[in-house]
Order: sequence, then C-alpha cells, then structure tokens
Amino acid sequence: MLNPFKPEKAVIREIIHETADTTTYTFSFSEANLQKGFRYHPGQFNMLTIFGIGEAPISISSNNNMDSGVFQHTVRRVGNVTNALAKMKVGDSVGIRGPYGTGWPLNVLEVKNLLLVAGGIGLAPLRPVIQEVMYRRQDFGQVELLYGARTPGELLYTREFEQWRQAGIIVRLTVDAVPEGVTWDGSVGVVTKLFDEMSSEPFDTLVFTCGPEIMMSFVVRGLVNRGFVPEQIYVSLERRMNCGVKKCGKCQIGPKFVCRDGPVFAYAELLTLPEEVLGGVAG
Amino acid sequence: MSVPVMKVTEMKWPALSLLDKDGIAEFAENLAERYLVFGPVAKGSEYVFAPVGKGEVLELNYHTTILPPKKLLHQPFEVLFSFHEDGIQENIVEQPKQIIFGIHPCDVHAIQILDKAYSVEYEDPYYMNKRKNTLIIALNCSEPAETCFCQSLGTGPFLKDGYDLLLTDIGEAYLVEVGSEAGMELVEAVNLRPAARVALVEKQKVYENARRKFRKRLLTQGLHELLESNFRHPIWEKLKEECLACGSCTMVCPTCFCYNVVDKLDLSLKSGKRTREWDSCMLLEYAQVALGHNFRKDRDARVKQRIYHKLLYYEPQFGTLGCVGCGRCIKTCVKKIDITDVVSRIRGE
Ligand SMILES: Cc1cc2nc3c(=O)[nH]c(=O)nc-3n(C[C@H](O)[C@H](O)[C@H](O)COP(=O)(O)OP(=O)(O)OC[C@H]3O[C@@H](n4cnc5c(N)ncnc54)[C@H](O)[C@@H]3O)c2cc1C
Ligand code: SF4
Ligand code: SF4
Ligand code: FES
Repeated sequence: MLNPFKPEKAVIREIIHETADTTTYTFSFSEANLQKGFRYHPGQFNMLTIFGIGEAPISISSNNNMDSGVFQHTVRRVGNVTNALAKMKVGDSVGIRGPYGTGWPLNVLEVKNLLLVAGGIGLAPLRPVIQEVMYRRQDFGQVELLYGARTPGELLYTREFEQWRQAGIIVRLTVDAVPEGVTWDGSVGVVTKLFDEMSSEPFDTLVFTCGPEIMMSFVVRGLVNRGFVPEQIYVSLERRMNCGVKKCGKCQIGPKFVCRDGPVFAYAELLTLPEEVLGGVAG
Repeated sequence: MSVPVMKVTEMKWPALSLLDKDGIAEFAENLAERYLVFGPVAKGSEYVFAPVGKGEVLELNYHTTILPPKKLLHQPFEVLFSFHEDGIQENIVEQPKQIIFGIHPCDVHAIQILDKAYSVEYEDPYYMNKRKNTLIIALNCSEPAETCFCQSLGTGPFLKDGYDLLLTDIGEAYLVEVGSEAGMELVEAVNLRPAARVALVEKQKVYENARRKFRKRLLTQGLHELLESNFRHPIWEKLKEECLACGSCTMVCPTCFCYNVVDKLDLSLKSGKRTREWDSCMLLEYAQVALGHNFRKDRDARVKQRIYHKLLYYEPQFGTLGCVGCGRCIKTCVKKIDITDVVSRIRGE
C-alpha cells in the first residue's frame, strides 16, 4: 500500500540568503526517478521534514518549467522546523513529500491580466506565477505585482526584480518603515496603499494574493471597494497542517480542507463559509 | 417505520440461527482461538472494549463504552515510522485478524464514517491495514441509555448493514443474522441452532419496544439552515463561559478523527520515531500556527467548530452527518454540555 505519510530524501543543492530570517533552498530528490517525475503547479506546497524535529507545510517557490532537475523552497525562520532547517548546509538532506493542494488557477481559468498582491513571505508561492508569466509571456496581458515588506532589507528576491521588469511585469514596492541610513525610493506604507497608484483594472483581471491573514483581509476589502468582485480574487491561506492529505483534520475551515481544497481559494468561496475567514482573525 | 426485516443480505445468506445466552462465552472463546476478539467488559461501573476470551467476561447487556471501538482502528497513539541515518522504516506490519464483538449500531455507523475519512483520495495505510482485518459482530440495542439519541439520526437502535454478523436479544436467545461471506464462515465454524422465520417477528417486537424508550432526540429537519443562520446566536457566548475546553467530548467521540504528529528522538539523537496521537479541536493549540497566531483562540469558536463539524460540515465532506447519537460526549462532559440541548435551544424550544 502506498504510504502518503512517508517523506522521501531530498538533498540541499544550494542555499541563497534572502534576508536576515529568510532563505531560499534548492533541493533535488536523492532518487533520480523521483526528481524526474516530480511535477507541480504554481501555488502547491510540500510537507518538509527535519527528522526528529517535525514537519511543516512550505510552498514550492520555484516553477517546473524553469528547471525540472531541482525545486526550491523559500523559508522564514519562525519555529522548530524552520530553525532546524536554517542550520543545515549544502549536501545535507531533509524529507519531502508532495506536491499538495490545488495551486493558483492558472491552467484552470482563462487568465489575461494578473494582479499579484504579496506581503512578506507571501511572495514565495507567487514567485512561480511570475516565472510562469515569464515562461509564456505572450499568453498574458498586463501583469502587475504589488509587494510589501516591513523594511527594504526584508524584501525577498530583490536580485530578480530587474528580470521581472524586463519581462514587462509592473513591480510596485512598499515598506512599512525605512530604518535610518537606508536609501529607499519606493513607497512607504502598507501594501494596500499601492492600490492608489496601481495600473490594474477589474476588467478581465484575476487577482492572486498571499500574505498575513490580516493583510489579505485589507486587500480583499480594498479591491472590492475598487470594483473588483469576490469571484476574481484568489487568496492562499495558512492553517495548521499535520498531514497535507485530508487526514489529520487540522486545516479545516467549515467543510473545506485547506490542504486539499486549497490552500488557494476564490474569495467568493470563502464568503460562503459560516466561520469568518478574511473578516479579521477570530480573537 | 418498521425495521427492514427481509434484507438482501438475508436472501444471500439464508441461515437464521439462534445463539443461546449461556453459549455466548463459549462462542467468544471459540472465536478467540482464531482471532483477537474485543468486546464490552465491565470496568468499575462503566464498560470498555477489551480483549475477551481469556478470563475477561463479555457483558453484552452494556449501555455504552467509555471509549468507542474506534480505538481499535485509529489508535490513540501510533508510530508511523522510525527513521535512522540510512532511511525510514514504515511501521506497517501484518495485522492479526480481529473481531469487534457486541458493537452497537451507532458505533458501526461511526466506523463507516471513519472508513470514508481514512480512504478519501489518500488512503491511510495504518487505518486501512487494521480495518481490512476487522470483522464486525454487531449487537442491536434493546435498552437505549439515557444519553442515547441514535434513533433521531437513523443510526440505531437497530442496524441495517455494515456487519458480518448481527445479534439481537430476543429474550430466550440471540438471533444471529449473517451479513457477509466472512460472517457465514464464523457461523459455520460453530454449532448454532437454526432459527425459525418467526424469530424475525420477535426481533420486530424488540425493535418497537426499544424505539419507545428513547428520552433524547435531535431533530434533524432543517438542521442545515438552522445552523447556518445561527452562527452568531447568543448561546455561543454562554457556552464560551461554560465549556472548559478540556477536549473530553472529542476524545470519546466515535467519529472524531483528528490527530497531531510528534517526532520523538532516541537518546542517540540520530534516530527516532514519527508518531501520531488523537487531537482535539477543543484544545487551544489545535488551530495555532507559527508565532503564536491562533485561528480559534476563543472557546466559543472551538465549541462551535465541534458542533458545526458534527452536524453541518461532515455532510459535504463524507455524505453523512458526523454525529451518530451515541451520547458519549453528553455523558462525559463535566459541564453537562449536551449537543441535543444546544440544538433545541437554538430552535427556541
Ligand atoms: C500551505 C502553506 C504554505 C506555506 N508556505 C510557506 C513558505 O513558503 N515559506 C515559509 O517560510 N512558511 C510557509 N508556511 C508557514 C510554515 O508552514 C510555518 O511557518 C511553519 O509550519 C513553522 O514551523 P516551525 O516548526 O518552524 O514552527 P513552530 O512554531 O515550532 O511549529 C509549527 C506549528 O506547530 C505548532 N506546534 C509546534 N510545537 C507544538 C507543541 N509542542 N504543541 C502544540 N503545537 C505545537 C505551532 O503552533 C505551529 O502551528 C506555509 C504554511 C502553509 C499552511
Ligand atoms: S464540551 Fe464539555 S467535554 Fe467538551 S471540551 Fe467543553 S467542558 Fe470539556
Ligand atoms: S458528537 Fe457526541 S453523540 Fe455524536 S457521535 Fe460524537 S460523542 Fe456521540
Ligand atoms: S493538513 Fe491534515 S487535514 Fe489538512
């Protein structure tokens, strides 16, 4: 019987330090055939194991079309598993199982214009979308990214912004605060502040957003006030996950399993649930 | 409504037999030679499912057990695999064949719900491995307990399917009906008296009699709409103050399936085990994520999650209500929080 709980060994091939607490790891499965068969969609996640410490759901921050010989995770140090990972070196191995979840509806819906709104580590699951756009640029119309972090030093993937802009993607940045001595020519304020200067319009546009839940609740509200409808806004949710495969129950919201029915949901779908999701966090 | 006495299964396995009451122990011992047999045995003033056959006496006149027989399939604590420097060893071993003897209809229904939860999309090999080696000898209920309300949910007091053998206490003896090939083999292995068809009339009488004895009910008519429109009913504020968030109600529930995963390192720090253990949506940590953020920090959110999951969310997930009316959560709650009472108070009764 196939065991969905058994992680496979994956080796760290490269480590890229993004910010003081966030790192991008390039992995490949030890077993060549596993790596060859590893296919995933933008927005899906893996369960990442550090044996003896535990397991955590982490979005895949790379895109299959770029290099199928490896995959990437961008991880922020916040607790047991993520801190243990931060201590590892190139050549060390972790356990990986996946990919899980639905991902962004890129191949499901006809997508023309895209508005991506990200906060902090929330850019990780959206990076594969940006890479998808670059891979088949002609399939998309206007693509715009609004990205916010606490300080300029906490922005992820800064080395790639130029490439993204060259592919015709509008990149607008904002930070909550600029520490003394740091030069910054972007905007200052929460990410929703960028709505005032954005180029995107509701017509023929899909919105993908990921970030802290409180940020996303302001994003959806701000967009609805600007004429966007809940059906065109997709959000990626975070919940406690102990299995990724609809068994442990942890991730449930109403009848939905976030690990399988999500983590990406149409905002309209969330509005049908009795339990409030983006109307602010309970408590 | 009358009990469906003439069943398809009955036509496939026509034998109706009788098991004398003083022959029960011998029957169980006989089974215990070939199977691990678990059945209700007395523990203080309560009952538990425990191995029978070796000195432990089956108590078929039990009301309900403390823990449901779920514990024999989805264990309270379980090792998933062990890990060491050169790999992973899955803890999926050849399972001994087991029989759950004397299980009530509500608990059989609960197992059918767990079967769905543990097989949908990704099969859980640990559960399924045990489930595939489990036979069910069910016992229809003739004396519902004070806390029982299976009748309201169609999960009791009598069982229609999902058994290998089905027993009904018809007074002088147990009527034995066969529900599967495996059940047929069990019956053939021992010498049972054939029953005359008139025994089914006796069974019907027991059923009618049991039906009249229920003291609790949970009206399911319009339940979905009722719950959907009362997410902010004042009762939740009251329950927030009453409930201790101890999690006992979910631990004893035969349909609760949630678990937590914990890694345990050996002393060498180089090898260890990944384990899982029952978890509860009533506990504070359940919906907590990194950095202390909690999606159900307040107790009312957790009380609501349990009751809404049972009565509203299971249906879209698994095609049936998540409560089978066993009454265990009512019996176990020190604060006397009663799911049937919550529903009737929302109904304004
Ligand atoms: C779909 C999805 C995608 C994600 N993608 C990313 C990503 O790309 N990058 C990223 O950095 N993060 C991502 N996250 C968040 C990431 O999963 C968490 O930051 C991670 O789980 C933290 O794990 P930890 O062990 O380091 O933290 P910890 O805080 O140590 O533990 C994680 C969880 O376990 C609980 N826990 C730990 N120990 C106990 C205990 N003893 N008792 C009770 N509860 C306990 C905590 O409450 C917490 O919910 C994602 C989350 C989801 C759901
Ligand atoms: S309802 Fe009762 S048993 Fe359940 S958590 Fe609250 S106090 Fe404990
Ligand atoms: S919710 Fe209570 S009555 Fe219903 S199945 Fe669970 S323990 Fe039994
Ligand atoms: S993470 Fe276990 S059910 Fe979704």
